[in-house]
Amino acid sequence: MLPRVNTSMGASPAPDLDAQLMLRVRDGDEDSFRVLLDKHRNPLVHFLYRMVQEQPVSEELAQEVFLRIYRSRASYEPTARFTTWMFRIATHLALNWLRDEKNERATERLDEVRGGDLPARELPDRKPSVEQRMVYQARLQEIRDAIATLPAKQRAAVLMHKYQEMEYAQIASALECSESAIKSLLFRAYETLRARLAHMVVRGAQ
Amino acid sequence: MTQVEMKCPLSREDTADVLLDYSAGRLDKARASLLARHMETCDACAAFGVQQAALWSALDEWEPEPVSMDFNRRMWQKIDLLDAAPWHRRLADSLRLGSWKPGFALVAAVVLVATAFVMDHSGAVAVSPSVSITEPGVSITEVDQVEKTLDDVQLLKQFDSTVTETAASKTAM
Repeated sequence: MLPRVNTSMGASPAPDLDAQLMLRVRDGDEDSFRVLLDKHRNPLVHFLYRMVQEQPVSEELAQEVFLRIYRSRASYEPTARFTTWMFRIATHLALNWLRDEKNERATERLDEVRGGDLPARELPDRKPSVEQRMVYQARLQEIRDAIATLPAKQRAAVLMHKYQEMEYAQIASALECSESAIKSLLFRAYETLRARLAHMVVRGAQ
Repeated sequence: MTQVEMKCPLSREDTADVLLDYSAGRLDKARASLLARHMETCDACAAFGVQQAALWSALDEWEPEPVSMDFNRRMWQKIDLLDAAPWHRRLADSLRLGSWKPGFALVAAVVLVATAFVMDHSGAVAVSPSVSITEPGVSITEVDQVEKTLDDVQLLKQFDSTVTETAASKTAM
């Protein structure tokens, strides 16, 4: 296996432009909020979608995150990176939602999912056969289930690490724990995922 | 030149991040080549790296749903409603947003002070009826002392009369 290398590491950290935009929002510049909304809408909704696995809920939660950011604009101080703050709010809301919905919705959701109620996603350009689509949906469902059964904090950490490409320090700050704890948390989470998706992982590794 | 050797990252959970970063292609060049050398001799790390990279690829298959086209419109509607809300609603919202921990401590402190004040005040009220049944300027303690003194005097009188009777009977004999 060839090592994949990120050569951009070691460069001087870029100033947090989002924080600067937020400071302008604090001063009453609504257009800056519009820029932040456009920039972070998709990553935020996608993160929340993978957390709660329900599209309408993820959009509602994302709107609540932006509303909270907007409401607290007057007292905003750039003590942390804007995205860290945003994902901290998002994680908090998602964990609350998962906690509240855990008992009522988990069984129902799994039943819906197993009943094939998933929105059919077209694979671009490949025009897959029915069989290919079924295989793809089955694999996707396994991945979703594997992530859904992780403890909520591990799930949030994996999603931030894998899909949002956040650094350990940022994830630690968003989840309000130490960097070392996050590394251990991620190690255990990926270990669980490798075990649950072993057949895919082994096949993929060959 | 001696080659620097890497301590096995799998020896501890919180050092395995090097392997995670390597599999994700996020490791800097120097550490990546150091780890690659280590993996040539460490089967556990080599297996971990291969499996983690495969997991990484599998997770890539999970694409999120597209965001609704009217997301921004709904968002601005909510913001307009927020801006149009009366000041007390906005204040309540901002209080709801803030951390409850300092607020809770403040409320607890106020309740504590209020309780102490009420207890102190109710204590004074409870004492006043007892005071009112005595003469003005005489305390309950003083009344108790007078009663006790009277009892003592009565006992002394009884004792005195007993002694006098005994002496009289001795004289008669």
